[in-house]
Amino acid sequence: MRAEVWAGARDALTTVVPSIVAYGIVWGGLARQAGLSLGELVAMCLLVTAGTAQFVALPMLQAGAPAWLLVVTTYVVNLRHYLMAASLAPYVAHLSRGWQALLAHGVTDESYALTMARFATHRPHPAYFAGSAATTYLAWYIGATAGGILGGRIPDPHRYGLDFVFPAVFIAILARTIQAPWQWAVAGVSALVALAVKGALGGTWHIALAGLGASALGIWLAPGGSASTTGPVGSRGEPIGP
Amino acid sequence: MRPGLLLTFAAMGVATYLTRAPLVFALARRRLPDWLERYFAALPIALITALALPLVLLAPGNAVPGWVTDLPAAVVVAVLARRTGHLLVAVAGGVVLAAVLRALLG
Repeated sequence: MRAEVWAGARDALTTVVPSIVAYGIVWGGLARQAGLSLGELVAMCLLVTAGTAQFVALPMLQAGAPAWLLVVTTYVVNLRHYLMAASLAPYVAHLSRGWQALLAHGVTDESYALTMARFATHRPHPAYFAGSAATTYLAWYIGATAGGILGGRIPDPHRYGLDFVFPAVFIAILARTIQAPWQWAVAGVSALVALAVKGALGGTWHIALAGLGASALGIWLAPGGSASTTGPVGSRGEPIGP
Repeated sequence: MRPGLLLTFAAMGVATYLTRAPLVFALARRRLPDWLERYFAALPIALITALALPLVLLAPGNAVPGWVTDLPAAVVVAVLARRTGHLLVAVAGGVVLAAVLRALLG
């Protein structure tokens, strides 16, 4: 189990962590500019635990938006987690409620993508997810705190291509995962829907809508019902593997 | 430290957790019907694609459009990932190319 935790931590460290730290630094600097004290921004990281929502909240905080609007916006920005949690659920089925409750905190874009890629090629183990999630959280906390201390004196991650790390990790995972024609179809439809919705609505709606919509293709196209979800190593992880 | 602000942050945390935990609990111990299993088999690909593509093509703050600088870099990432099977090599190659293209064209 310890090896799996380390594998998750290692994969996160060698891919997404540098960018998460960089974005944490940016966020911390912006949070100070939005009027948060160092203690407040650290508290926000610890309590909210969602980077995208925290970015969205800063201009609202600065503009004095009411609390309920911040809470509703956070919920809407995070709707995509429902889908990630749903597809991670079978892999934590054998754990106690307490562990499930704790691991549910770890559902983020990055830990989800790394974990699904790992489970496609290795025996799925929730400790891998725990390792990658804990590492991405730590990176975010360290970055945000550093940014809060530095204030506005921060480099622009875009200049160094660091913002490109996130799509690059996702694309590398897709490139390793997609083999069968039905998987190409799902990815193609998802891409079209995501781009159309993002172009039309902005925000983060495209992730949930394209995820929900394009997955429906799987009902007809994915190889069907190996019908043996016998625990964490169920059939659900296999179709995305090579 | 403003107490009202902390309460707001705590409520935002609850809202976040409400998007993460319920389906973990609800789906963890239940045998799903076959059609739903196939749906979930497609879900990671659909979600990860939806995360990635707009970041490449519609990312805000780029001086030049994403398809000029980031799309070639994304293609390099995909080719490297498929050839080498190595996440770090693929991502590093793409980031370097994206940074170079942006510096040259941006």
